[in-house]
Amino acid sequence: MTSLDTLERRFLAHVRGGQVFPREWCAQGLVDSDIGLAIYTNAYALRLREALEADHPLLALYLGDRLWAELCAGYIEAHPSQVRSLRHFGAHAPVWLTGNKPFSDHPAIGELAAFERELLDVFDAADAARVDWSVMQSFDTAAWPGVRLQFHPSVRLLATATNAVAIWRALKDGLSPPEAQRSTMPAHLLWRDVDRVSRFRAVDEVEQLALRSFLSDRQDFAIVCERLARIRAANEVPALALGLLRQWFDEGLIVSAASQDASRST
Amino acid sequence: MTDRASPARVPTPEARASGVRPWYGYGLGLRTEHFDPVLDGNPAVDWFEIISENFMVAGGKPRHYLDRIRARYPLAMHGVSLSIGSSDPFDTGYLRQLKQLVREVDPIWVSDHLCWTGNGGINSHDLLPLPYTEEAIVHVTSRIDEVQDFLGRELLIENVSTYVSFANAEMDEAAFLSEIVRRSGCRILLDVNNIYVSSRNHGFDADAYVAALPAERIWQIHLAGHSDYGDYVIDTHDHPVCEAVWELYARTLERVGPVTTMIERDDAIPPLVDLVAELGRARRIGEAARHLMPVECA
Repeated sequence: MTSLDTLERRFLAHVRGGQVFPREWCAQGLVDSDIGLAIYTNAYALRLREALEADHPLLALYLGDRLWAELCAGYIEAHPSQVRSLRHFGAHAPVWLTGNKPFSDHPAIGELAAFERELLDVFDAADAARVDWSVMQSFDTAAWPGVRLQFHPSVRLLATATNAVAIWRALKDGLSPPEAQRSTMPAHLLWRDVDRVSRFRAVDEVEQLALRSFLSDRQDFAIVCERLARIRAANEVPALALGLLRQWFDEGLIVSAASQDASRST
Repeated sequence: MTDRASPARVPTPEARASGVRPWYGYGLGLRTEHFDPVLDGNPAVDWFEIISENFMVAGGKPRHYLDRIRARYPLAMHGVSLSIGSSDPFDTGYLRQLKQLVREVDPIWVSDHLCWTGNGGINSHDLLPLPYTEEAIVHVTSRIDEVQDFLGRELLIENVSTYVSFANAEMDEAAFLSEIVRRSGCRILLDVNNIYVSSRNHGFDADAYVAALPAERIWQIHLAGHSDYGDYVIDTHDHPVCEAVWELYARTLERVGPVTTMIERDDAIPPLVDLVAELGRARRIGEAARHLMPVECA
């Protein structure tokens, strides 16, 4: 007798296009077992393709039907789902695209996929109450160097070596996408605003460094200013850094600010 | 074609015995397209069913709408990834997420499917058929026990549409489902469309299937549309409920008594007002059966 595990393993292999399920293990109903098995096989590929297309609608549009089908088939084979929600099935797609031809020959494709995945993560990231600039005003001057910021859980910083975001924007607007080329801006900032609308904008190298220092490296204001002084004149840095901080607060990116050098914090 | 159900006749003994099941009325599957219409229009829907996995996210719009709709309507949680029949160990991370969502939603009940979705760590994201064997009964029953203990509540288990059955079957599907329900103490989410689809594909009598089930265990009914290809039928949830399924629904209620009912629509989703109108037909059929016997109001 076929054990449950063996039956399931062989059935799934068939559904995935691998080893054929023994026909003698099927009972003959009104529907021929070949047709029955084909229904499951077709549904498997279709469901995963639909999940990728739901997550990457503009990448699919950019690639066109033939390349999109090639991407789906290759990705589904390389990364069979190991997740419970289709929401996460395509999580490896940006990296996979950078390592598999013909997609890897065009870095904008992987970056376009990465941008769309970041938008997904922005969309359903955790909620958190934001604070405004008055929090910073409440600190003593002596406490400012020790200020560390906590960003809203939706905030993402995406390094962009190509103009993938401009391509995405054009496709979103129903326009012909520009030719893929190197990016004029090194990164893009993405976040969800207080009205739960996903937003993004390009950031220059100064803001990228400041964001990375605060956001990823968890550094304080003094360290961030030191880092900025490596790429900007030292006398420009305080105003530059203050301007960035003010903008981030105004955009609703900050959920708390605290300083090791003062008891005042939120 | 008539829009009126055949009047219920004399309730069967099974139907009389079912008077203890909770009653929540007539619901719809909550879909993203209808978030705003639900909040703006307060439609005449008694409750909504959510797909659990769609709300296993940290925040943002899905949770924002869930919280607001939950404040106005009872919600049931319906999962698609429990994989109760899989030979793989349970995904404990998934179970923890499910339990957390149950805490947050406080649903009227939690359901999933009598099927398996993956093996060897690979998830097909499809509702795959089980062999109707004693081995599968023992396996599924122990896993239902495990989940019910973990969640601290009963599960409702739904019959799925199938396109393949297995040569090693030791019983029919209704007997398989009934035995699992008897041993595990779980409840049945009876998908009338799935019975119809499978009966067409495998050539069994849909009414005999319903008659073989423990009526008092049927706590919810699903209605949905399918795609009919003549020689076979696929459960696609992209059409209105067809006439044959409405008729089977009416006969089912005559047999088992009034059951909390909802309509699922997952593709080619029409405006909410159209689904509410379609639900009206379920309501008319259900009310005709309901007046025959009292049920416990939740």
